[in-house]
Amino acid sequence: MNFIAGKTAAVGVGLRQYKRGASPLPERGVLVRAIVDACEDAGFSPSDVDGFATYGDDKNEPVRLMTDLGVKQLNWSSQVFGGGGGGIAGALEQAVVAVATGQASAVIVFRALVQGNSGRLSSAVMAHHLNAHMIGAGLVAPAQVCAIRAQRMFEHHKVPKSTVEAFVQAVYYHGERNRDAVAYQTPFDLEDYRSARWISEPFRLLDCSRENDGAGATLIVSAERAKDLRKPPVYVLGVAQGAAAGWGDLLENDEDELYATAGFRAVARRLWAMTGLKPADIDVAQVYENFAAQGVASLIDHGFCDYETAADFIRFENLIAPSGRLPINTSGGNLAQGFIHGIGMLVEAVRQLRGESANPVPGAETCLLAGGPGAPIVSSAILSSRAL
Amino acid sequence: VARLNDAAALSTGADGPYWSALLEGRLQLQRCAACKQWHWPAVWRCSHCGSWEQSWEDVSLRGKVYSWTRTWHAFAGIEHLAKPFVIAVVKLDGGGGARLVGIVDDNADVAIGDAVAGCVGETPYDGASIPALKWRRL
Repeated sequence: MNFIAGKTAAVGVGLRQYKRGASPLPERGVLVRAIVDACEDAGFSPSDVDGFATYGDDKNEPVRLMTDLGVKQLNWSSQVFGGGGGGIAGALEQAVVAVATGQASAVIVFRALVQGNSGRLSSAVMAHHLNAHMIGAGLVAPAQVCAIRAQRMFEHHKVPKSTVEAFVQAVYYHGERNRDAVAYQTPFDLEDYRSARWISEPFRLLDCSRENDGAGATLIVSAERAKDLRKPPVYVLGVAQGAAAGWGDLLENDEDELYATAGFRAVARRLWAMTGLKPADIDVAQVYENFAAQGVASLIDHGFCDYETAADFIRFENLIAPSGRLPINTSGGNLAQGFIHGIGMLVEAVRQLRGESANPVPGAETCLLAGGPGAPIVSSAILSSRAL
Repeated sequence: VARLNDAAALSTGADGPYWSALLEGRLQLQRCAACKQWHWPAVWRCSHCGSWEQSWEDVSLRGKVYSWTRTWHAFAGIEHLAKPFVIAVVKLDGGGGARLVGIVDDNADVAIGDAVAGCVGETPYDGASIPALKWRRL
């Protein structure tokens, strides 16, 4: 039974992105801007917002946003556990559940990150998960943690590196064509990618997401209320978060068949079951890529292909708008658009289904949002331009 | 350089005895006293049989490389580690096949499945040093 299918809709989005260290405002100021942008996008008064949901150890307590927004009463404030971006769709889930059950009526899903306030994102994520076992091994950064998993996917499970190259190439192809992207008008050179400096093998520099200052916000209201707002509603058909037994903060002792995955298998099974959809029903996907190999693992986890068929499916021409089989990260994603802990992926999912993307997929009705891969808790959602 | 040598300070959960043994140069891992199930990460309660009684047993520092990475970038905190260096996840031959992480000596080339042996050394981190497993290829 899917109690939330089509009951709620994303009706407004806002995204303010700056170069790391170059935000014109402190973190909460940028966040207020992005939330007001989302409300204006929807034609909705910020004072009618009554709930907030976030993820990734965001430091901006919703109650502190009330004065600037003019919120009359706060009815919902929550955060998904985990230091990484695994909780992004889970934050959407909290907003959806709050609105679908009537616990709140207008909930903002947000994430804000300004280095001057919260420090380097990679350091903050690790501070959440670090322990003396990892420190003793010199294992102190998300890039290293994900690199070890990726190495096993390549070396043991034999997923060819051509998949990761195609993934990166497609993401940069979209970023090059998005005027709001860091990589706008910057043609991607495969030789530059292949010869970039090593970060932690098998990852080179361009396998890794950037870090940006900024904030993103998406407004969720009921499907009923969405009809009266300014933009076409984008409905939430299903969303799942969590972890299977044998996955999580286990000091590298995850179940053997899960170790080299992105952690989504159980979450994806629930998502397909609750929506009655299958991978072939998805028109476009925003696949959170903290590191490109984890994006590939995420596609495999969601069932678009398996270890054996990955090379056949994950090819450049399949992954690009307008007519690839599964265009991914149509704004340029975390690698080429910019990285505010992944919140831009949710914003792009909404824009794509409204026909507002810089890289439109004509007629796209369904979009998968896959959250931060490799995190102890992961989450995914399916959004749709079509009401149920 | 300050050496962290307090098991309580190094422990983040039920793994205090692991650190006490490591500080004595030995590897000990946890096993349920009732049903003999190995546990790693360490637990307070055995979810297989419900027992709260856990024992700690000596385990040989022998295993196989399960995965690895060679780190080149000077991430915050490991500026004083010589780079590049190799980190391995090692699946132990004993101890219920638990996996442990550690640095591989001499930036050696490793592949998944390689046999390794370990010893207890130290790793510098953020101006201090902590006891740690070091692996070498056999």
